[in-house]
Amino acid sequence: MPTLANIAGVGLGLKRELIPQIQRQFHDGRIADVSIANINFVEIAPENWIGAGGKAEADLAWFVERYPIACHGLCLSLGGPDPLNVGFLKQVKQFLSANKIPLYTEHLSYCSDIQHGQAGYLYDLLPIPFTEEAVKYVAARIRQTQDILGQRIAVENTSYYAAAPISSMDEITFLNAVLTEADCLLHLDINNIYVNSVNFNFDAHAFLRQIPPERIVYSHIAGHLQVQDNVLVDTHGEAIIDPVWALLAEAYQLFGNFPTLLERDTNIPLLPELMQEVNKIAAYQAMYKSASATYA
Amino acid sequence: MLDFQHYQLAFTAHIRDPSANKKPTKVNDARMAIYREIVFNNLFGAVSACFPVCKSILGARAWRKLVRAFFANHQATTPIFREIPQQFLLFLDTKIDCPLYFQSLAHYEWVELALASQQTQATKLSKNPDYLNEKPMLAPAHRLLTYDYAVQTISKHNQPTFTKQTHLLVFRNAENQVKFIELNPITDQLLSLIKKNDLTGKQALMRLAEESNYSNKKAMITFGTEILAELANQQAIIGSAVVGSS
Repeated sequence: MPTLANIAGVGLGLKRELIPQIQRQFHDGRIADVSIANINFVEIAPENWIGAGGKAEADLAWFVERYPIACHGLCLSLGGPDPLNVGFLKQVKQFLSANKIPLYTEHLSYCSDIQHGQAGYLYDLLPIPFTEEAVKYVAARIRQTQDILGQRIAVENTSYYAAAPISSMDEITFLNAVLTEADCLLHLDINNIYVNSVNFNFDAHAFLRQIPPERIVYSHIAGHLQVQDNVLVDTHGEAIIDPVWALLAEAYQLFGNFPTLLERDTNIPLLPELMQEVNKIAAYQAMYKSASATYA
Repeated sequence: MLDFQHYQLAFTAHIRDPSANKKPTKVNDARMAIYREIVFNNLFGAVSACFPVCKSILGARAWRKLVRAFFANHQATTPIFREIPQQFLLFLDTKIDCPLYFQSLAHYEWVELALASQQTQATKLSKNPDYLNEKPMLAPAHRLLTYDYAVQTISKHNQPTFTKQTHLLVFRNAENQVKFIELNPITDQLLSLIKKNDLTGKQALMRLAEESNYSNKKAMITFGTEILAELANQQAIIGSAVVGSS
């Protein structure tokens, strides 16, 4: 039964396109091709897999047998104005347990609203205004989530594009305040730090240095799309650029290395090309010693 | 409601329907435009993937407008991505300006997706199938459907001008492919009887003969034997089970 300690080394976001390619590397239940040996764990979105039957169910069972899995959610809407979807959280709890998944992480954002008195989903990650009230509100919902699941969750620093004029603090202050108030783990997204630093003209390295390393459970790295000089969109559809690699290296240097997962959600190349980035993460990890015992 | 939540609701109301709802004050419009675009496109992709025929019939522009109206007016209640198309069906139920057959077609397109991903329990089957003396078992993921239109034949170039009651058995086979078989009314009735009651093939056929005042029981058995074998041949029936065992 995998534990949090098994979410280690390098991970890969599990997209449908990649499943047959990974499966072909296995014979008699073991990896026959060393070229994918650096994939230590995979990540799935519960919203894509809960309740899925047929081929998807068989594929999931296949991965449960062979890889530690982390669940990275998209629709819990921790910052949403409608009540936390407790029914869904109970489904998540059951899903984690049924598939031996030791970790559930979510975004520090919201994806639902209330219009005409009715709650509804928008299915995308929207930015929570950085206010004191929002810190308290979101932290309470994280604690409620942890209570229902009976385990700690990690929240991810999320990319965003439009600053709320009502914000009364900067992003790192907001993030740290929520982490402290909720006493939860951090799912550190390296690319998002970079994307936001360009979009809102702040120093990504200064942001990184204020991250509480003891809360990092694992990190994300990905490519993004440059739409204008000062506008990056977090598409997960391109190769990782050098400044983002540099930020990862700096994070390892500052905090000791930590598990890192490659996200590629659109414009997905064949596995061998993705493995170049997976292997590059592994090479960086080898250059820096492991972080001391994590907060978990 | 908290202050920041008023802002959030103005933000999402604008994303859902920019023409009806102003963006929150002082938010950079060029940045707001990114959300107007990506949030809708994300949903548009999820809906469009399930309804290719509906989309081709309406044409790109009208389809986009319809999904726009869905986003603006329907509060989707599920966090599960696979269930988004079902939310679209609920929205379509409230639309009165679509062609009459459109909801049936949309439902039919959705069924394919629903069956592809439906969770099922393993069915207990007898070693040697006997469809007459045991209960014929349908593929675990299946639907027996009746539409007012021949939905399976509708395309951009074949839009129905009249109603035609159509019975379909849609099912997922052992290779996880979704297939459909058009049924004549009597076969549809037979399968409904078998599905709803714990009957052997023979018992179901006898009841069918009674219900339809058909006196030639021998012919009915011959008909039933052939049809059940044919459905098994197409993997719609996967075997038989002793009555009372399920």
